[in-house]
Amino acid sequence: MSVENLKAYIESGVLELYVLGDLSPEETLQVEEMASRHVEVRDEIAAIEQAMEQYALQNAIQPPADLEIKLFEKLGISEDDELETVSETQFEEEGPRIVRLDGSDGRVRTLRYALVACVALLVVSTVALFITYNKLNDAHDQIASLNLDKQKFAGVVKQLEFDNNGLNNMVAMNDSKEWATIRMAGQAFSPKSKMNVYWNKKDKSVLINYVAMDLPKADDTHEYQLWALVNGKPVSLGVFGKTDSTSNDALKKMQAIQEAQAFAVTLEPMGGSINPTMEKLTVMGGV
Amino acid sequence: MTAFKKLTLTEPELVLALQSKDPVVLKTLYSMYSSALYGVISRIITHTELAEDVLQETFVKIWQSASHYDNTKGRLFTWMMNIARNLSIDKLRSKDFKNSLKNQDIENNVSFVDEQNKVTFNPDVMGVKQLVENLKPDLQSVLDLVYYKGFTHVEAAEKLNLPLGTVKTRIRLAIIELRRSFN
Repeated sequence: MSVENLKAYIESGVLELYVLGDLSPEETLQVEEMASRHVEVRDEIAAIEQAMEQYALQNAIQPPADLEIKLFEKLGISEDDELETVSETQFEEEGPRIVRLDGSDGRVRTLRYALVACVALLVVSTVALFITYNKLNDAHDQIASLNLDKQKFAGVVKQLEFDNNGLNNMVAMNDSKEWATIRMAGQAFSPKSKMNVYWNKKDKSVLINYVAMDLPKADDTHEYQLWALVNGKPVSLGVFGKTDSTSNDALKKMQAIQEAQAFAVTLEPMGGSINPTMEKLTVMGGV
Repeated sequence: MTAFKKLTLTEPELVLALQSKDPVVLKTLYSMYSSALYGVISRIITHTELAEDVLQETFVKIWQSASHYDNTKGRLFTWMMNIARNLSIDKLRSKDFKNSLKNQDIENNVSFVDEQNKVTFNPDVMGVKQLVENLKPDLQSVLDLVYYKGFTHVEAAEKLNLPLGTVKTRIRLAIIELRRSFN
């Protein structure tokens, strides 16, 4: 190409458009071919490029500072140690590197979401656990109070069964003709007391019924003793305690006596006495 | 090492590091050129948020297509500037941008219209305006369209109702004017 033609080519303005990126691919190739052949074209392009670069640098506008952080986060480049892992993985794989970067970015984001989800889950679980713990405590309290109620009712039922048993026996004995009921009334020691004794006319056995007695409660060192008066002499028929709840049986069999004119009960030291303590005569009744 | 890398590098060093995909070089590149590229972008796109988006996209693209850069065909900055310009023009013509115009609320719209009519003065751009105002009006109008508005020279010719050759010549004269003012 002649010098004139070259000059005209340069002055056509195509090189400026080339630098501005405003040419079609074919035109671009042509310019590049010209540049590779003619040093004048190369120099002109370089001068235009430097002018545009100067122009841009002198009219630079500082972007907001956080944009840089956002950009490197987007590219998955933030810390120096992270940088090394990124470059390492790139050496392993030469192919579509950007996919890898995006992938690691996605992974970091996923992990971040996972972390947030875990923390949220932990908080929810803790709250749920706390609520459950409180409910469990309430339930324990309820169970304890229900147990208490149950024991109380069981006690009541036992008492009722015991009473019922005794009453049934009383009714049975009253109905039968074999049994004589001796009512003993309160004496000076305990005027309000009363008690029944059942004496079998046939085999002479003696029964008392815990339900059919109303005696003051004996203390730990005393118990009641049943006596029969035979021709003016007291004969011990045995001792009996307070209504003890270990047995459901309201009836207690005492010693049999062939004949008696009266029955009496005294309060004696534990184990009973040979002779009745008359000051503590509680109830007495004649046959 | 980091401190060293943050120093400015010469262009061949930059190119080498960029093509070896050393992530540190991207930071260097960013600290050296982000404001120059942002200057280019924000003259084409006056909407701040969109301009910031485009700057991000520009660096992503620089990073992704570093291997396509051929230093025998031009300076690194020219290559980066053209990425920024092309992305800006794409954005300008995209739905995103058109929607953002529609979504302007009234208060923003006032300043937007002002910007469009160049009534307000962005202090960052004032130097450029002076420079361009020193140009003859016919050179100014061409450079204005091509450089500020992202027009191609063909579009500028249509817009100004001038032959293509004249537009090309005027662009060349305007740039020669710039070259002179820098030397």
